Amino acid sequence: MEFFIAFFNFALAMWLAWCHRSTLALYVFFAGMLYATAIFLRHAVNPLPLSF
Amino acid sequence: MDMGPTLAVRLNAVALYAIAALLLVAFYWQFAYDELPCPLCLLQRVAFAALAVGPVLTVRYGPKPLHYGLVIVAALLGASVAGRQVLLHVMPGDEGFGSALLGYHFYTWAFIAFAAAIFAAGVMLMFNGQFAHADAPASGRFEAGAVWLVVALTLLNAFSAFAECGFSACPGNPVHYELFR
Repeated sequence: MEFFIAFFNFALAMWLAWCHRSTLALYVFFAGMLYATAIFLRHAVNPLPLSF
Repeated sequence: MDMGPTLAVRLNAVALYAIAALLLVAFYWQFAYDELPCPLCLLQRVAFAALAVGPVLTVRYGPKPLHYGLVIVAALLGASVAGRQVLLHVMPGDEGFGSALLGYHFYTWAFIAFAAAIFAAGVMLMFNGQFAHADAPASGRFEAGAVWLVVALTLLNAFSAFAECGFSACPGNPVHYELFR
């Protein structure tokens, strides 16, 4: 579900941009970036093999 | 030498077709070889979708530095995710996640693509002539087709991710579609 929301978010941003709602598209874009970063931090839990 | 807004919009549409091609290749591998994308792989696809927002704005409103800034921000996130996955499999003897294409795994190709996007946005920002015109240049079927192709592929990815993960969090190494179990 988390990735469905992320994909849907950016599809919505593109659709808003196409419908001449550029300000709203920007807000949705940045909300999506924050959300995607949060998902990244949630899944980036395995230690890297070269970590000390 | 400088670049006019019409050529800049056309190049942004070409970039949208390139993003669509990347998403289509990923989809082909997912269904033809039954290789389900891992969470980090899905996140790289999300970053490709985010990468498309800037060019869509350029096609609609004409070239602006802000739109190239969005491309760089999205590509930095994508490169971070792909770079982390490269580092996870960097040790000798590690066969990597999933199959390889032309010798590189998909996350390595994704890292190269995000680096190329940052480079391309940087190069585009060097041409000031495209920003001199206030009005957006007229976009035709080529540009509109690119936008709708990327929007459609992003929505298809949304439903594919929903089928793969269902209502819960995505498993680290998915082997079947959770929604159809």
